[in-house]
Amino acid sequence: MDILQYALRRLLAGLPLLLGVTLFSFTLMVYFGPDKTFELLGKNPTAQEIAEVRHQLGYDRPFVLRYGEYLRELATVDFGNSDSTGERVSSLLARTIPVSLALELPGFVLGNLLGIALALLAAYHRGRWPDKLIMGLSVIGMSISFLVVIFVFQIWFCTSHGLDLFPVRGWGTASLADYLRHVTVPTLAMVFVALGYNTRFYRAVIVEEMGRDHVRTARAFGAAPARLFWRDILKNCAIPVITRIVFTIPAIVIGGALLLETSFGIPGVGKAAYEAIISGDQPVLKAVVGLTTALFVIALLVADILYRAVDPRVSLE
Amino acid sequence: MNHPTPLLALRDLVVEFDTMAGRVRAVDGVSLDVFPEESLALVGESGCGKTVTALSILRLVPQPPGRIAGGSIRFDGRDLLALPESGMRAVRGRDIAMIFQEPMTALNPVFTVGAQLGDVIRRHQRLSRREARKASLALLEQVGIPEPGRRIDEYPHQLSGGQRQRVMIAMALSCGPRLLVADEPTTALDVTTQAQVLEEIRRLQAEYRMAMILVTHDLGIVAETCTRAVVMYCGQVVEAATTAALFSRPHHPYTVGLLDSIPRLRETRLAELPVIPGRVPDPLQLPAGCRFADRCPRVSAECRVVSPPLVATADGGLVACYHPHP
Ligand SMILES: Nc1ncnc2c1ncn2[C@@H]1O[C@H](COP(=O)(O)OP(=O)(O)OP(=O)(O)O)[C@@H](O)[C@H]1O
Ligand code: SF4
Ligand SMILES: [Mg+2]
Repeated sequence: MDILQYALRRLLAGLPLLLGVTLFSFTLMVYFGPDKTFELLGKNPTAQEIAEVRHQLGYDRPFVLRYGEYLRELATVDFGNSDSTGERVSSLLARTIPVSLALELPGFVLGNLLGIALALLAAYHRGRWPDKLIMGLSVIGMSISFLVVIFVFQIWFCTSHGLDLFPVRGWGTASLADYLRHVTVPTLAMVFVALGYNTRFYRAVIVEEMGRDHVRTARAFGAAPARLFWRDILKNCAIPVITRIVFTIPAIVIGGALLLETSFGIPGVGKAAYEAIISGDQPVLKAVVGLTTALFVIALLVADILYRAVDPRVSLE
Repeated sequence: MNHPTPLLALRDLVVEFDTMAGRVRAVDGVSLDVFPEESLALVGESGCGKTVTALSILRLVPQPPGRIAGGSIRFDGRDLLALPESGMRAVRGRDIAMIFQEPMTALNPVFTVGAQLGDVIRRHQRLSRREARKASLALLEQVGIPEPGRRIDEYPHQLSGGQRQRVMIAMALSCGPRLLVADEPTTALDVTTQAQVLEEIRRLQAEYRMAMILVTHDLGIVAETCTRAVVMYCGQVVEAATTAALFSRPHHPYTVGLLDSIPRLRETRLAELPVIPGRVPDPLQLPAGCRFADRCPRVSAECRVVSPPLVATADGGLVACYHPHP
């Protein structure tokens, strides 16, 4: 019950954040972002023609009005129709978001789980060769750009220059095999890059925890290393781990989805956002930016509740 | 002594640390015996190697940077340094228990007192969860924690420093160890609590018939609690004697200096041992002869050539000095 109350309170507290970020992004979008004006006009338009088109698109209405409208759209998750295709934005989202989730969840989960597992291994053997090997590989993962990784993996896994096992582009979820065929290479690329950062971070967290007094106490009372790592150390590391996972969500949504989906030609929300940016499709952009912000605020809230669950010193006040 | 065979015997223990500046011998050839049911004090200035000696007994010296580089540790006839790690785990907490200086950080913050106690109990004894909980409750009661039924489900941060240290003591007692190593168990507590917790330790040591090594800065505690004392200086034992003999007739100039400086400092509580003029030598550049030479009022040329060996005194103790006080 108090968890529920707390969640509500936090959600209310998250509203100003939501307002701030949407106001900021809305301003950027409306005054500096791409829009449809010139796409709809012929060559050398007159000032009057421009004004006319802008009026038709509603760009000339007062800022406060447009922002208020945007907030209403956010609250009702109804963003009108796409300027490019005329499709309802809500149905576009309903079509693309599940694709993005199916595409990115495996990589996200694996990237974190494997990162923690490798970090535990490295920390356990710290200073010896398994540690050095894992840390060396993670530096490689960190230093290569995501785009290069995608490109190399595509050549390697998807073309006759390499293994030629998977399609370069496209998406399908008709069957599990179909899904796996399309999701494997993007997932590998995601995991490769995420592992670099995650492993280093998690290792640092675990090594710090290993040096704490209570770990020495546990050892002094005969705790075995496996027990020590899985129980005593990992639970104490939960807060930084949760924090990291939550704070990488926006990066995953924005960077991951955008790059992966455009590179692999996957019809997810990232690709839709990319196309909206290119064509200046404001209704779609507004929806994506607003929902990403909302997602982040909710993720922060979930993190707060999880903190409470893993660490008794955090109170729900 | 009246007990012929020691429960614990350290011989020529050497512990080294690899530091940025070079290799440091934190413990350099320490030998000492602990007999069944006795309480032995380990005294000496900060940094002289008391904690490292205590940790070595359980093979808990942090490694890296440290390692036990030589000597032997025999417990009840077994060579602890020859045990495999799994064998050592069975000793830790069951045969030898250790309590630490910092009650604030020594317990795991994310598990309840009961979970941590029960964990240790079940690790070394075949008990069900319910039986372990019952045993934990009894232990908490025994170490003088009020309302054990409530405290058992609380987390360490909900307890006071004294209560936390009592929980540590309960944990140490839980498997009926024969040796308790207490590394400055009361230093971090306020004066009143200090006296209470110490009293508890004394009572339980007698009740459980354990031997105890008490590491302390406080010579007052030594006098009240321990039957024998070992004085360390700069990683070495410089004097060992019964408490009575040590206080009435100290032989080593360092011990004499320590005792001399007590009366005028006694009113203010001692966070550190009383100060003796001069400085401890740099562990990276130890002098050839006696390590106390630069601070010693009885120093002679001979002292600076070869380290004085530990030899028996007339009253049954040991002293490492060429010109001991009679
Ligand atoms: N983790 C470590 N790394 C490097 N050197 C260490 C480490 N732990 C201890 N030492 C060395 O061992 C020496 C003895 O330390 P120890 O903790 O045993 O002193 P102590 O007698 O317990 O002092 P105190 O009364 O302050 O607790 C230190 O002076 C230091 O040089
Ligand atoms: S050996 Fe010499 S220098 Fe060392 S304590 Fe004895 S008298 Fe002093
Ligand atoms: Mg110490």
